[in-house]
Amino acid sequence: MKKYIFKLILSTFLFSSIYLNSQEFTVTSNLENLKIEVGEIFEPITNVLDKDGNKVECPNIIYYNKNGALNWDEGISVNRRRGTIKGEVPGQHKIIALCVGLPVGRVSRDFDVTVNYAKPKELQVNLSRETVYTGTYVPLQYKVVDAYGFTRFDADIKISSDNDLVEIDNLNNVKAVKPGNARLKVELDGISTSLSFNIKETPISKLSINADMDVARTGDVVKFTTTAYDSKGNKVADAPINYSFSGDSFDKSTTAAGLIKDDGRFVAETAGKYLITVTAGEKSISKPLVVYDRGIQREVVTVGAGTVQDKHTSDFWVFEGQDGNDYAVSGTWGADGTTYFWDVTDPANLKKIDSVQVDARTVNDVKVSADGKISIISREGASNRRNGIVILDTTNPYDVEILSEYTTNLTGGVHNLFIYEDHVYALSNGERFYVINIEDPKNPYEVGMFEIGEKGQAIHDVWIEDGIAYSSNWKHGVYMIDVGNGIAGGSPSNPVAMANYSYESGAHHATFPFKSKSTDKFYTILGDEIFPQGIDVYTTNETAGFLHFVDFTDINNPVEVARYELPGHGSHNYWIEDDVLYVAMYTGGVRIVDISGELMGDLFRQGREIGHINTANPNGYIPNAAMTWGAQLYKGHVFYSDHNGGIGSSKVLPTKPDNSRINEYLDRPRLID
Amino acid sequence: MKKLYLILCLLIFNIVLSQDYYVYVAAESDDQVSVLKFDGKEIIETDRVSVGIMPTENEGPHGITVDPNGKYWYLSLAHGSPNGSVVKYSTENNEPLSKVELGLFPATMQISKTTGLLYVVNFNLHGLMKTSTVSVVDPEYMVEITKIKTGVMPHGSRMSPDGNLHYSVAMMSGELFEIDAVDLSVKRILSLDNDTHHRNAMHHSKLKPTWVTPSPSGHELYIAANGSDNIYIVDTEKWKVKEVYKTGKGPYNIAVSPDGEKLITTLKNEGAVTIWSLKNRKQISRIKTTTSIPHGVVVSPDNKYAFVSVEGVGGESGKVDVINLEQLKLVASAEVGKQAGGIAFWKIAD
Repeated sequence: MKKYIFKLILSTFLFSSIYLNSQEFTVTSNLENLKIEVGEIFEPITNVLDKDGNKVECPNIIYYNKNGALNWDEGISVNRRRGTIKGEVPGQHKIIALCVGLPVGRVSRDFDVTVNYAKPKELQVNLSRETVYTGTYVPLQYKVVDAYGFTRFDADIKISSDNDLVEIDNLNNVKAVKPGNARLKVELDGISTSLSFNIKETPISKLSINADMDVARTGDVVKFTTTAYDSKGNKVADAPINYSFSGDSFDKSTTAAGLIKDDGRFVAETAGKYLITVTAGEKSISKPLVVYDRGIQREVVTVGAGTVQDKHTSDFWVFEGQDGNDYAVSGTWGADGTTYFWDVTDPANLKKIDSVQVDARTVNDVKVSADGKISIISREGASNRRNGIVILDTTNPYDVEILSEYTTNLTGGVHNLFIYEDHVYALSNGERFYVINIEDPKNPYEVGMFEIGEKGQAIHDVWIEDGIAYSSNWKHGVYMIDVGNGIAGGSPSNPVAMANYSYESGAHHATFPFKSKSTDKFYTILGDEIFPQGIDVYTTNETAGFLHFVDFTDINNPVEVARYELPGHGSHNYWIEDDVLYVAMYTGGVRIVDISGELMGDLFRQGREIGHINTANPNGYIPNAAMTWGAQLYKGHVFYSDHNGGIGSSKVLPTKPDNSRINEYLDRPRLID
Repeated sequence: MKKLYLILCLLIFNIVLSQDYYVYVAAESDDQVSVLKFDGKEIIETDRVSVGIMPTENEGPHGITVDPNGKYWYLSLAHGSPNGSVVKYSTENNEPLSKVELGLFPATMQISKTTGLLYVVNFNLHGLMKTSTVSVVDPEYMVEITKIKTGVMPHGSRMSPDGNLHYSVAMMSGELFEIDAVDLSVKRILSLDNDTHHRNAMHHSKLKPTWVTPSPSGHELYIAANGSDNIYIVDTEKWKVKEVYKTGKGPYNIAVSPDGEKLITTLKNEGAVTIWSLKNRKQISRIKTTTSIPHGVVVSPDNKYAFVSVEGVGGESGKVDVINLEQLKLVASAEVGKQAGGIAFWKIAD
């Protein structure tokens, strides 16, 4: 097994200290323990000494700046012609002094060099909330900017007060304890500022708490509202409210768990009795909540299998043909450029009916026009290195014909593509997508292009719905692009970006838009693709990553609200219909997830999974090893493709009557009827 | 005594005959690297290494080189998100040790014996027509020290015999670049289409040079002009094209035997390899490869064999063909992963 990450960490450790190729030589330099200022230019003097301490003439010394063992660092720049270094960014850096040209080969040593932080120039302190009541913590915010304009995050701020109106702990938390005019002195590295504010005696004498339900299921978002009153019964509008919860699980082998937000929304992950508590200063009140299991699990049965025995399978698409029968197309991966066509009219009898072979090793993606007449397939690994796309006539899926190929600007390989209203949206070289008009599919031509225009831009997928393209761009996240919707004046020939959301891991590989039928909210669901251990050649590959649910109801202020993370398995492609998610979780098979209602927190842990499909195929290319690529709900059946096995179909069975009375208090609409 | 002498001679003869030659070859469409052993008669695959990070993405191993000390091999992965990378492996167990991200489609590379640094062309084969770079990597730390701007689609990264100079050609702008390996700057540029010494960065070359390699003396450079079916020979002192030879269709990679006598060229569009006598300045052999699209070529240090990687088409396996340079004939072949490309000689062992 390739413990790739381990190896990298090991390398980091090995190279993190002084390293000399030859024990015969040592390197000395005035770089040792050097401290310079931002903008300061320094001329290093470095000597190579032999084992007797004699100076050896080094033909050439190269200096460079590194960060750890694996990264180049911009903290110090090097002028190789002048042989100088210059401080650029404050912090601890490493300069490598590398002597080249000696008969023994290279001799090098790394030196810790500090670029000093400049003196703080600006120290800002303010309150995030206007009113401060006794018994509450003072909501302080800080910002420190130094003389070079760098914002400092490691500032060791000291806060003090000249009176006893506040209490300050050693983590700089300030609690208002007495009414009056308080004044804080905030100091950092020779500069100081002060903040004055008025502490009011808390008027809160009573709290009341309400909820929109007293009995809930796991995953239901319960809205608690709190009202604070003064001694005269008047509402206190600006009361500082804090929510918390406690509870006991019904199942003694687990614990009560959930998430509560500052605005009073609570969601439970496990069934049990909960107590929601709200505090405002030194007043508090609680309200009980009973939570039952969501109770949505359904039996899922395997219906049919379309085995591909001799090669890996990639993406697929199920469609209704011109003759009213049902068909599927599936690509192949790392093989011979074959695309298969299937008759899936009888989901229990998936028949391979035709195939097309093109000059490629991988047909990673396949899509079909809404009328079923045209299929498009992507090419990677073409022998002439001109990859592009191939357009097929699927009017008769039993006799598929190649209509044309299109390679202009697409030679670098098309990893994913989409077909929408007589246009193909095809990724190019993992950097951008091109828009190709296929009104005449024998004579396609380019009409537009979109790239995000960021340094290191990379794209992995594009999906289109309602004239909006959802471009998945790894570390730059999802871009919503008007390609004909009209909301931003875009068209296929003039794609206009209108919204963007990215997240920390940078592993964003696919997007599916989701308009919730039950809440009318609009989400984009962003999927990760992560292989934490790299390639494992001896067994199934470890996968990771999850789905990020981003509330895009206000497209200018997207908020990530929930996740679906299956422990031990990573996400790939997915499909949503009627508030149910069908997600291919690579080694975890297809997972069918209830995403109805408001979404908040960890959906897997909330028991929202309706069922799952093990897509491993005993007769597959790699037998009995699920590596689910994609899923699609089609005419009541869940179809899927598996990298190791081919395609398949399953059926989610109707709900069995619940005679247990365990959820007798609940009255919820049934899913997937 | 005579018998003993005879036995000793046979033993020595046998030892000489039993030399094994080892090469590494990258299969670009299978994300695999094969280790091959050739014993003078038969070539066999001794190891096959899966490379890359993402099992469901083709990361395209393209360039491969072995450290001069034989302890490590380096592999360029053409594709990432979107930048490619170079990964360092141990020759002892073929396990990855470290990785550095470089530019778009890092391709061929070589380590200078003078500086110990690794020089990698960022081929950017499928990107927009713009000047790309040569990345300089410290292979000890696997840190990119700098990127040196060169031409459009640079390829064929080779060092001068003394390790002081680096050569590459820009396929689309038709330029030859000479980089000072020590001060890490471009020293000379030769525009091959018109034999001029000035930049011609946005020129669309008809020559489409894909490879450059120096003669063992360092006095000449041999350039594969893939677009014009020629070999260009450049005088390094005068920095001028001194000779042009017609080859077959699509010359792609070049190797020169260490003794400086033979020049071996892969003809990508013909499925063949040509062997030229550099002494007589004429082609002495043309050999069909076992499948289509020959790609890379390396020559054993003893001048006896050329090892040729052959891509194949579609689902066909790649090949490594062995050519006996004394007999001028193909003597062995082995199957490797699909689209065999980058090839590097590792060692001769008894």
